Amino acid sequence: MVEVNRSKRTRNTILYHTLVIIIGIFMIYPILWLGGSSLKPDGEIWTRMSSIFPLKPTLEHYLDGWKGFGNISFSIFYKNTAIISVVTTLALVFSSAFIAYGFARLHFPLKKFWFACMLATLMLPLQIQLIPQYIMFSKLHWINSFKPIIVPSFFGRAFYIFMIVQFIRGVPRSLDEAAEIDGCNRFKTFFSIIMPLCTPAMITAAIFAFYWSWGEFLMPLIYLNKPKLYTISLALRSFSDPSGQTDWGAIYAMSFLSLLPVFAIFIALQKYLIEGISTEGLKG
Amino acid sequence: MKIKKHSTRESIDGYLFILPWLIGFLGLNLIPMVATLILGFTEYDMLSKPEFVGLSNFIRMFTDDVRYWKSVKATLYFAFVSVPVRLVFALFVAMMLHNNRRGTYFYRALYYAPSVVGSSVAVAVMWREIFGPDGLLNSILANFGLPSDTAWLGDPRFAIWTLILLVVWQFGSPMLIFLAGLKQIPIDLYESSSIDGAGPVRQFFRITLPMLTPIFLFNLIMQMITGFTAFTQAFIVTNGQGTPLDTTNFYALYLYTRAFESFQMGYGSAMAIVLLIAVALFTGLIFKSSPMWVHYESE
Amino acid sequence: MKKAVLLLIALTVLFPLVANGGADKSAAKGKEEMSVIWWGSQNRHDRTIKAIELYMEKNPNVEATYEFAGWTDYWTKTTTMAAGGMLPDVMQQDYARLAEWVDKGLMLDLEPYVADKTIDFTNVVESAIAGGRIDGDLYAVNLGMNSECFVLDVDAFEKAGIPLPPQNWTWEDFESIARELHAKLGIYGMGDGLLGDQNWKTIYLSNGEFAYNKAGTDVGYTDQSLFVKYCEMVIKMQKDGVVPSRDEELAKYGISIETKGMVQKEAAMEYFWSNQLTALASAAGEGRRFYMTHKPRLTKNGPAANYLKPSMFFSISAKSENPKRAADFINYFTNDLDVNKILEAERGVPISSAIRDGIKDQMGPAQLESFNYIDRVAKDNSPLPNPDPVGHSDIMNNVFTPQFLDPMCYGVITPKEAVATLTAEAKKILAKNK
Repeated sequence: MVEVNRSKRTRNTILYHTLVIIIGIFMIYPILWLGGSSLKPDGEIWTRMSSIFPLKPTLEHYLDGWKGFGNISFSIFYKNTAIISVVTTLALVFSSAFIAYGFARLHFPLKKFWFACMLATLMLPLQIQLIPQYIMFSKLHWINSFKPIIVPSFFGRAFYIFMIVQFIRGVPRSLDEAAEIDGCNRFKTFFSIIMPLCTPAMITAAIFAFYWSWGEFLMPLIYLNKPKLYTISLALRSFSDPSGQTDWGAIYAMSFLSLLPVFAIFIALQKYLIEGISTEGLKG
Repeated sequence: MKIKKHSTRESIDGYLFILPWLIGFLGLNLIPMVATLILGFTEYDMLSKPEFVGLSNFIRMFTDDVRYWKSVKATLYFAFVSVPVRLVFALFVAMMLHNNRRGTYFYRALYYAPSVVGSSVAVAVMWREIFGPDGLLNSILANFGLPSDTAWLGDPRFAIWTLILLVVWQFGSPMLIFLAGLKQIPIDLYESSSIDGAGPVRQFFRITLPMLTPIFLFNLIMQMITGFTAFTQAFIVTNGQGTPLDTTNFYALYLYTRAFESFQMGYGSAMAIVLLIAVALFTGLIFKSSPMWVHYESE
Repeated sequence: MKKAVLLLIALTVLFPLVANGGADKSAAKGKEEMSVIWWGSQNRHDRTIKAIELYMEKNPNVEATYEFAGWTDYWTKTTTMAAGGMLPDVMQQDYARLAEWVDKGLMLDLEPYVADKTIDFTNVVESAIAGGRIDGDLYAVNLGMNSECFVLDVDAFEKAGIPLPPQNWTWEDFESIARELHAKLGIYGMGDGLLGDQNWKTIYLSNGEFAYNKAGTDVGYTDQSLFVKYCEMVIKMQKDGVVPSRDEELAKYGISIETKGMVQKEAAMEYFWSNQLTALASAAGEGRRFYMTHKPRLTKNGPAANYLKPSMFFSISAKSENPKRAADFINYFTNDLDVNKILEAERGVPISSAIRDGIKDQMGPAQLESFNYIDRVAKDNSPLPNPDPVGHSDIMNNVFTPQFLDPMCYGVITPKEAVATLTAEAKKILAKNK
């Protein structure tokens, strides 16, 4: 009996890994292609476009691309992007969780109205609001600084707030009630009960917030008026000109490099998504 | 214990908690939003002062703009196909990667990869590499002896499908949210049902799915909004043109080109207003239906 | 838990720090400020930045700031800036958009600066300047002369045993050559782009007309059949595989110079603007031989289908606080030999004859070919039509591609119907300029 079970389990494991890897190949293909292409010498980029393996690998595109424009190298773009992304991410995750608790747990007048307003901010395309927003920020003298990009994140963002609301609503109410009976006020309940229980949601939010602010280009395009303030995504888009010469090798190389921090953050944070949360101890 | 609605203390606390958002909304979001709503009733080329024109933008949109209805059709098609497929796929993969087997870390990174590539300029080239006349897809088809000379991206029948595939393939964000949702389901629920003799399939329908419904609601609404306002993929892959034959001219893309390339910000704003109303209606419907299928642990 | 609280506190402390971070602190005191913006790719950015730095070296009292973007982003950005009244002093402009921007009063009349010689046109002929005139006044200074061309792959022609066509070839000549090349070499006789809007314009140019009338209030032609005949020819060539079809153009060729059929040796002729030859040559790699020739015309002895067009301009914002300095900067681009040695005619053939002679010996073969081509066109061209009228981008975006080009190429409507739609819809949009 035991033998049969074990071999069955082994078979399942093999089946599982095979399936996951086969689908996985389709998933990782773009990264491999991008990485491979970034190593191809100029002659191979178009002639051997569909191959992911360079015949004569070269690092020249990395060196060329890193130089950036004039005397402004990619190290400056990295620094700018890192400042924006880290601050935005931290600010967004904590402010959104805080706000979400209010929407998820407390009853107050006009709650539904404000919640609808919040969702509406997602439904009007940002592109169309660009000009009024630009005029507004220019009246505040925020142009040519990171402020228009960073400051709004301190006020939460609908996507994250709504997401965390849904997670908080999944947390049994008995937990906060127990805390309140123990004499916690609502702020203490939020910090000591809800926030820890929402770690998976907050981690997820952090992964997205980082990735989105890392790749965001419309706001930097409009508000950063000096190459020294440019972000990576902006710099990458300045490489190409449809009617002129474009160094595609450099674009591939720098695109590939720009993915690494996003990946690193993902790998660093996702390990917090591994353990299921037991409410057992808290209930006690 | 039933909590009394709108107790003063609770109301104050509630407003204190949402205060940061409220400040941001009133201070930073409201002005551009209201401005857009007003501009929809004007003719505004951005370079000179807006001129009030009443409803004429809307009348023109509905009666005298052949491209408008094509963009509506393309967007609905795109949203109604890509959203369900993407959600189901994301849930499937999240279930598959929700375990403590060896390699799970690695697999998750693998499956998140397409989403990271995102809106990079390189995507435009890569998509041509895969769907070009002598691209990857055609060479695979040729291996199976199938017809392999379709220029997928340039064929009005298939171009939109390449974009659908692109977004489905970038399923990382709903997947991650599902995964986080799965993590939040208390283990003891499974433990006690195992003791009752429930198998994995039954557990999925009895515990996982109901417990996941709040997250599913979130993903559904967000994906729907993203689907209706889809922009980046078409913008990058078709170079902002919505080609061929306007089959990929998504609503948000069309609105953007009207506003910024044809200098018709007023018309673009009017389009945005219609979009807002349509998406709000859909969202409202989903919310209205949610008590029937969403299960909240806390209520 | 405590960590989280600490983080929150740290954040609130961080907030003002970050909020001020990246703010403009460099505004040097007592210096004249000037800002410049342009579009382009890495190559142009590098050169232009060097040029600006050299300008500051030569004018130590000037603090120049600059920014750049890719083509599409550039217009989103500058339009937004214009709406906010915050355009930089010097702005790169495009022939197809200039009229629109001038019409809205955004660009400064440069006439006074030409009169007082801040911008010196001693070595420049009027025809090279004319493109920047709107209703007689100068609003933009040409940064390089440009003309459309057909680039011929000399090796392919030799292999097929076909002589290079004379510069006054006609569309009939073109068709038979393209078919012969295709038959003999098995590659496309001609690359993509034959149905671009430029051919709509130049078919009529070689009939002594233009797509738009002079005032920009109507189309500039009466006989639709000229363009219908042309479209029918191209559609037939597409069907016969002599030129790429529209779906291939979209899926493969139309993304960048590097993907063009000529670069990939998949087409023996290709349509370009003359200032793209350097990019073409460098993308195609060593050992290729290219010859640039005029566009085919309607009749052998009729008017040329070519005109000399400014590749791009520099304009000054109407709100510039220091227009004199901005004008001096434009003059520096036009007349300073040192800076032109840095720029290497990347924006097109310089308009000043002294500069052209001054940099000729440092040009590569591809660039020399484009210089020579511009000389040839200068001797055989049609007069420069007026800049594209207000509404041109509307016609391009909302009529040309979606209602004319695509439906015709995918066989939804016939060329005759397509041209009729194009004409009628263009008339409707242009009528607003009356």
